Amino acid sequence: MSLYILSKEQLGEFVEKLQAKFRVVGPVRTEYGYAFDDITKPEQLELNYSTTILPPKKYFLPQREVLFEFESETDDKGLRSYEVRPIFQEVEPTVIFGVHTCDMHGITLYDRVFAEGYRDEHYVERRENTYIIGMECLTPCDDASFCKDMGTLSAPQVYDLHMTPMNDHYMVDTGTERGEKLLLDHVYVEMARKEDIQQLGQVLSSKWPRFKMRLKVTRDQTPSLLTLGYKAKLWEELGEKCLACGSCTNVCPTCFCFDVQDEMDINMTDGERSRVWDSCQLREFALVAGGHNFRDTKASRVRHRVMRKGKYIKQVHGITGCVGCGRCERACLVNITIPGTINNLHDEMHPEPEKA
Amino acid sequence: MTKPKIAFFDFTSCEGCQLTVVDLLQTHLGLLDLVEIVQFREAMTEKGEDYQIAFIEGSCTRESDEERLYKIREQADLVVALGACAHLGGVNAMKNRWSIENVQTYVYGENGKDNYESYGARPISAVIKVDAAIPGCPIDRFEFLKIVQMVLQGRTPKLPDYPLCVECKLKENGCLNTMGKPCLGPITRAGCNAICPTYGDGCEACRGFAPEANFEYMREILRGHGLSEEDIDARFSMFNHYQLMQMGEDAPLSKPIVEPDAPLPTSTFAAPQEN
Ligand code: SF4
Ligand code: SF4
Ligand code: SF4
Ligand code: SF4
Ligand code: SF4
Repeated sequence: MSLYILSKEQLGEFVEKLQAKFRVVGPVRTEYGYAFDDITKPEQLELNYSTTILPPKKYFLPQREVLFEFESETDDKGLRSYEVRPIFQEVEPTVIFGVHTCDMHGITLYDRVFAEGYRDEHYVERRENTYIIGMECLTPCDDASFCKDMGTLSAPQVYDLHMTPMNDHYMVDTGTERGEKLLLDHVYVEMARKEDIQQLGQVLSSKWPRFKMRLKVTRDQTPSLLTLGYKAKLWEELGEKCLACGSCTNVCPTCFCFDVQDEMDINMTDGERSRVWDSCQLREFALVAGGHNFRDTKASRVRHRVMRKGKYIKQVHGITGCVGCGRCERACLVNITIPGTINNLHDEMHPEPEKA
Repeated sequence: MTKPKIAFFDFTSCEGCQLTVVDLLQTHLGLLDLVEIVQFREAMTEKGEDYQIAFIEGSCTRESDEERLYKIREQADLVVALGACAHLGGVNAMKNRWSIENVQTYVYGENGKDNYESYGARPISAVIKVDAAIPGCPIDRFEFLKIVQMVLQGRTPKLPDYPLCVECKLKENGCLNTMGKPCLGPITRAGCNAICPTYGDGCEACRGFAPEANFEYMREILRGHGLSEEDIDARFSMFNHYQLMQMGEDAPLSKPIVEPDAPLPTSTFAAPQEN
């Protein structure tokens, strides 16, 4: 849409003005790195951050979310009746700063899953009340990411505002009308001139060589490689190493599986039903009544995750299920990684011809 | 509805788990609308013997305690092990490494060793049938509440069967194992909300091992911290010595965990040896 210039000095003022009306969250420093958290003072905002343990998905699908409360009554015949009260927690209008392009691609997928087609009212409520301010990555966050391979190095159309850091200012692109209003109502900015736009073009095109490709196959070839390698030996090897700890899925911006749990109040008649993040890497995930487990072995679960990331999600939702953020690689204590897995699978399926 | 009568019993323990229940009663008095406590040494002097649910804290460490356990089992419809000592054997089972004679001499001295009865520490389930367990050293008060509710609803209490890392990640803690601190989270049953890592301490597996614990790669991670094979054995067995012994040859240890005649480590807590 339109491009504006926000000087770096004005950022604090912009944040402060927003705080009067919104919950403002963004990357802040922690003992171990960075995390998305509430900003109480503009100085806390670390827009130059590398990455976070959890992606901003936690603001759209919280780790635990109450869906409804219930009250039950038992009549004299011992029959129980329930009264159910859906809970739509008032979602405070929120502004998220500093969402990297890979994470915005994660949100694109979330929108497909929770808003387009089947409409999850809880998700839509949060999504509609949350402004996304994206942040262009000009250098790789670290060696674990592979966004260039996954085509997530440019911003998708989910942002309200998108910032690119320039020398002394940010170039701010408005993605939505409400985003433009958010900007213009809270800070004085000028429209970018022709030379600013040229400069932006240069900055954006010169960033590409800084990002390396890590995959031996393109993301379009990945689904067929995975089909071919469904019975590969590699999965057994990975299954042996895997701790079944679920960290890789919990930290993933595209994982969206949840479990539904009931909790009773102490009076034993009332309670609430919530949803909590679940993981296909855990033993119970594919366990069904009667005790049968569709994915009893860790090997089958590791394979299932990679299949979803590289093939199934694309088949169902039309976008690749991995955005190359590298979070699962950073979180995995036994070094099971998406690039490593894809590359090793490629090697197993296409062995180098023996040199004569 | 008549309230089920419950009773608390303690065997070899520090009473920390019972204290947790006492503490819970300060904030959740509503619990007393659900159950009637008829015996609880930690909190009251009256003693009723007509209980339906028995909560047992502590491990069994004497043959003579078995009789008391049988009696409880006979009276109670449901027996719940309360805390790591009762659930796993816990820290008490560390002594099982050595012969009882060796341990008794060490603790009570050559002259005192025959004065006190003792045998290898064991979880309650090694003596009587246990219907449910509330893990942890000490227990988590909210898990206690949840399990009591399940029992009252006639449901079999279910413990999480995944590793602690799940809860730790949901809280977005930095991972200690990547910050130079050993943590047994990957092999430990979740349910405490990763309380130790949340406060910066590595998990010691007081809730017992997760059903799919990957010991081999856990060792690999711990080696990465520069821990020796013996250090790793010691960490695995701190709360789970009894479980590892039960695994026999399959125990994920660098050497056998039972050394009946080995000298015990020197400690300031040992009784002075008479000369
Ligand atoms: S699979 Fe790993 S690299 Fe891909 S999006 Fe998920 S966390 Fe990021
Ligand atoms: S993070 Fe690694 S060890 Fe844990 S479940 Fe995922 S692949 Fe397995
Ligand atoms: S489990 Fe821990 S807190 Fe509970 S009685 Fe045993 S030693 Fe004490
Ligand atoms: S700190 Fe411990 S429990 Fe938490 S993720 Fe790391 S290994 Fe798992
Ligand atoms: S973190 Fe580990 S040691 Fe600490 S309470 Fe939980 S299970 Fe026990």
